[in-house]
Amino acid sequence: MKNSIVFLLLGLLVGGQAFVLWHDNASMVSRSSDAMRMIHVQPMFQGKKVVLDEQMRSQGGDPLKLNTLRFYLSNFVFLKNGAVVFEEKNSFHLLDLEDENTLDLKFDALEGRDFDGLRFKLGIDSLTHISGAMGGDLDPTKGMFWTWQSGYINFKLEGTFKKCPTRNHEFQFHLGGYLAPFQSVQSVQVKIPKGENLVLQLDLSPFFDQVDWVKKYSIMSPCKESVEVSKVLANSFSVHAE
Amino acid sequence: MRNRCIKFSLLLLLAFGLVSYTIPAWIGDPIELKIPKNWPKPTYDFSRNPLTKEGVELGRRLFYDPFLSRNDMISCSNCHLSFTAFTHVDHALSHGIEDRIGTRNSPALMNLAWGRHFMWDGAIDHLDFQALAPIAHPAEMDNSIEKVVQKIQSKPVYKELFFNAFGDSTVSGERLLKALSQFELTLISANSKYDRMILGQDTFTDQEQNGYRLFQKSCASCHTEPLFTNLGFERNGLPIDTTLNDYGRMKITKQPPDSLKFKVPTLRNIEFSYPYMHDGRFKKLREVVNHYAQTTALERKIDLSPNEKVDLVAFLLTLSDKAFLFNPDFSFPRF
Ligand code: HEC
Ligand code: HEC
Repeated sequence: MKNSIVFLLLGLLVGGQAFVLWHDNASMVSRSSDAMRMIHVQPMFQGKKVVLDEQMRSQGGDPLKLNTLRFYLSNFVFLKNGAVVFEEKNSFHLLDLEDENTLDLKFDALEGRDFDGLRFKLGIDSLTHISGAMGGDLDPTKGMFWTWQSGYINFKLEGTFKKCPTRNHEFQFHLGGYLAPFQSVQSVQVKIPKGENLVLQLDLSPFFDQVDWVKKYSIMSPCKESVEVSKVLANSFSVHAE
Repeated sequence: MRNRCIKFSLLLLLAFGLVSYTIPAWIGDPIELKIPKNWPKPTYDFSRNPLTKEGVELGRRLFYDPFLSRNDMISCSNCHLSFTAFTHVDHALSHGIEDRIGTRNSPALMNLAWGRHFMWDGAIDHLDFQALAPIAHPAEMDNSIEKVVQKIQSKPVYKELFFNAFGDSTVSGERLLKALSQFELTLISANSKYDRMILGQDTFTDQEQNGYRLFQKSCASCHTEPLFTNLGFERNGLPIDTTLNDYGRMKITKQPPDSLKFKVPTLRNIEFSYPYMHDGRFKKLREVVNHYAQTTALERKIDLSPNEKVDLVAFLLTLSDKAFLFNPDFSFPRF
């Protein structure tokens, strides 16, 4: 009697585990058959793709070079006629020009759906900031979190520009800040044209045109300028179909 | 009988199946933090970092491990010693790696689960992120979280500890910070003579009672019971030290009204956490009380006769919690 119960229990447990495994596998299969949709993010400058450590020229002809370009895009929402078609869960992406792979954003379960607009954030929202340590792209080892003061660095751009009156003409922009009045995270909404291969362009030209390079070549903490510059960047996104 | 057994095992199966499906790994022994009677709800969101015996143990090991510093010499406990309410006594400004001197006094650590802002100027808004500051500070541990994660990953003893706490032995910044938080969150001090008096288990002397009355009148608006801090930022009348030029909260908000405001520190275990203030300018409680009685910079002037000052200090000493200071669970772990 006792034995049979033990057996039964064991059997049920094994069965239960098998069910769990099967269930997990099943959901994996269904996921992989659901083709993903990809959006490639492409930073641009003066109509050309940005390449790190390669000399470029500003509109005024001044030489400039970028060494680092890393930023967060988050909370992706796809729209059709203004209505939400798909909202990505846990939607945090760290893009790093150093690592091509990070520039390809993949979205599950978007294939076959019709959409004509995209909404997302440049940076990390305040709520996420006060939710404690997180993993993945938000892990503090990614070099995108200030240590001496709480806060993600939403956008990091470093390089050299002839116009900067600094040593070796270096500049650093570490844009962030989530507490009023220096909330730097920006909402972006763009139209999506019809087409297969979607490219989300970030044009850095307006940023280089609008910054007062003689005065403002370094932002390393939350401040008024950080908010202003973030706004310029947020207005520089557009989607193209190739 | 048999029927009931089957039902029972079916139930078990269901529970087991559900658990293993919804929570991929059932990890560690959960710990329920004891919230002292009549205290407010903790501000820390435990649902994002549930305390477990294994997590706390890992955090404790990390807290006491000098391996976190660049030269393997400085651990958190160098500046936060358990027997002195987790502060660095005798040093006005904290000493870190290679005896480099920082710009602030290391605060006592306790009741952190109720904290909203950390550091004297509240630069940090979540306990999890606090450890990033000392790890990276050039005068403290002079390292980076990236390097610490690599170092810890390469130390065999941590494989097991991370496995026990998180279900696999991968070290990440998130896990390291959460484990440190887990240990720090257990540092609750609520067993002083004052607490026992409140619960009716002890009585104050006349002197302590008079000190308590004076405290409630003059100090409690900022050092509010039961945490002995209102968790806010206040100006307590200290003149600026021109060798440091530390303007406190204004450094973070950049708003002039916040100039010279500092986070109100708890006064629990104050007997042991000298020297006092953000720059450690006072060595004795007597000096602190003298400051409050003299200053004209407070919104509400505090008047204290010499006798009242003595009584006030007698009350402050009732905030010492020996059970906290000598809790074996908080001290150096056996490696
Ligand atoms: C060299 C000395 C030193 C070391 C090492 C050190 N700290 Fe600190 N700690 C300080 C000082 C100084 C402050 C206050 C800093 C400030 O206000 O800017 C502080 C503040 C804190 C606070 C905030 C307390 C509060 O109530 O605001 C916590 C928590 C803390 N430290 C934990 C740690 C942990 C965890 C470690 C190890 C990873 C550590 N400390 C290592 C000196 C140190
Ligand atoms: C207006 C708010 C306010 C009032 C009233 C006040 N304090 Fe404070 N207290 C503070 C602040 C803010 C600090 C930290 C200041 C700093 O470090 O610059 C502090 C620091 C202290 C410290 C040092 C704590 C440490 O860990 O270094 C002691 C002790 C203290 N206060 C005792 C008292 C006593 C006793 C009274 C009443 C006579 C009192 N306070 C009234 C705001 C206040």
